[in-house]
Amino acid sequence: MNSIIALSLFGIANLFLGFLNNRKILMPATLAFILFALGLNLADWNTEVLWFNNMLRTNNLSVNFTTVILVATLLVVAISRGFGDDEEHSHPAEYYAIMLFSVVGAIMMVTFENLLMLFIGLEILSVSMYVLTGSDKRNLRSNEAALKYFLMGAFATGILLFGVALVYGATGSFSIYGIGNFVTENRMGQSEITPMLYVGILLIIIGLLFKVSAAPFHFWTPDVYEGAPTIFTAFMSTVVKTAGFAALYRLLSVSFVGEYGKWVYLLYFLCAATLIIANITAVYQQSFKRMMAFSSISHAGYLLMTVTSNQATTQSSILFYSLAYSIATVTAFAVMILVSENKTSNGKPDESFDAFKGLAKNNPLLAFALAVSMLSLAGIPLTAGFWGKFFIFSDAFKRGLILDLIVAVLMSAVGVYYYFKPIIASYMKEGNIQEITIKPIYKLTLIITTILTILLGLMPDLVKSIF
Amino acid sequence: MNYQPSDYLPILVQLGAAIAFIVATMLATHWLGPKRHSKLKDDVFECGIESIGDARTPISVKYFLVAILFVLFDVEIIFMYPWAVNFKALGWDGFMEMIVFMGLLLLGFIYVIKKGVLKWEK
Repeated sequence: MNSIIALSLFGIANLFLGFLNNRKILMPATLAFILFALGLNLADWNTEVLWFNNMLRTNNLSVNFTTVILVATLLVVAISRGFGDDEEHSHPAEYYAIMLFSVVGAIMMVTFENLLMLFIGLEILSVSMYVLTGSDKRNLRSNEAALKYFLMGAFATGILLFGVALVYGATGSFSIYGIGNFVTENRMGQSEITPMLYVGILLIIIGLLFKVSAAPFHFWTPDVYEGAPTIFTAFMSTVVKTAGFAALYRLLSVSFVGEYGKWVYLLYFLCAATLIIANITAVYQQSFKRMMAFSSISHAGYLLMTVTSNQATTQSSILFYSLAYSIATVTAFAVMILVSENKTSNGKPDESFDAFKGLAKNNPLLAFALAVSMLSLAGIPLTAGFWGKFFIFSDAFKRGLILDLIVAVLMSAVGVYYYFKPIIASYMKEGNIQEITIKPIYKLTLIITTILTILLGLMPDLVKSIF
Repeated sequence: MNYQPSDYLPILVQLGAAIAFIVATMLATHWLGPKRHSKLKDDVFECGIESIGDARTPISVKYFLVAILFVLFDVEIIFMYPWAVNFKALGWDGFMEMIVFMGLLLLGFIYVIKKGVLKWEK
């Protein structure tokens, strides 16, 4: 909880650091800020406290989710470099500050106790992301992405808020446990049932599914991911997804668990639809960035599967999967940033698979990091992604979600096809990529994420026992 | 307390009365008033300088920045009114919270000035 206050102040501090005319200290300062917040967050371990008149609750679950979010942010900040040397049109201090502010929103989304805090957290996160998406001001695609994201996101937030209002009207409570009690009493016939509650639940689920980009609310994702500067795409696909699923899980498992029989069908079919649409469409992509966008939608499908199963192990499955997915995604984007900036087509960074041709010859580290991250995303054994999928599939099996399981296994096989495209391009195709110079911290981040992915693949219990 | 939709009937009556008044006065002025048309009478502005060009000209983005900043710091006053009314009831807790709020706002103001948003000629 203290991490929220600390990060807000650090964000402001970052704004003022921007006046120092020394852009080099910004990134180390931001890294130090996030590490400090991580320490504050871990200090809350094994305490259960309600904050601000029962608005936020910190417990081990929220500490775990916050840790995953902060680790993902740490990695993304570590691979951010300079944001161009254009004095007039780039504002690195502001970008870092907005990233810190958006993390505040994400932490609120995983610690909320009151639906109003969920809404505020979601808005802080979303508004920051709209700005960061459009931060490449002179790029038409970036502008288009920001506008699309903003218009669609504003609608989704409105739908979510309408759902919150209806649920409040039906249950008379904003607190997630208050709603939970009402719904459970409802099942036992002690309180009166109204259709308003179901409409409210439906609208809230739609609003949150939009934010985590599950089908059929995923149409904004490819354009926004492709248009946004790559570093913020990496941020978006890790932090926003983790926070969104934490919020969805908490809401469904605490407030609406009494009506499980009603919403399970909705998520059951949406999960299958998400997996099929995302994986089939990803096969046809030529751009690596766009492929990663569809890959992010498909991972939303897998995560949705464990939310649908609603087992006791669901929370640790979501945590492990988010961690494995975040690490692998950041690695993949980190390699892509270097490769695409190295090879330009028509004056713009080349983001197609062709840019990776012959990467392994002169840059073995980059190619290896890319290969490991792709294997992890595809769910090949001995990587973290395999265990993530394993835990999720076993959750779904325990609940007996047979259709989802069949679809998920088939679509994992499809996933292997498109995740191997960059690996094949970098190892087996001929190309002329010279050795790319990498800054030490960038190199260190790549090595750490690669080792983490393999380590978690060999010994998932390292973190699984904590979650 | 249980409110029925019928309890809000007076609001509907009030709305009807307001609309009826507007319609009645507008009809009455059109009906009773004299009608004299001339070039001068039908001008957009009867007095002052003759208008030139279109009103839709591009305006410097600085005006918008200043306008948005004005709204931002203006709205904050609205937040202070209820605090001032309940000043004694809220006590030191309320005072400290307002200090925090004003402190953050002040930092924002310093940031705006240092960023040079209020510098008109750059």
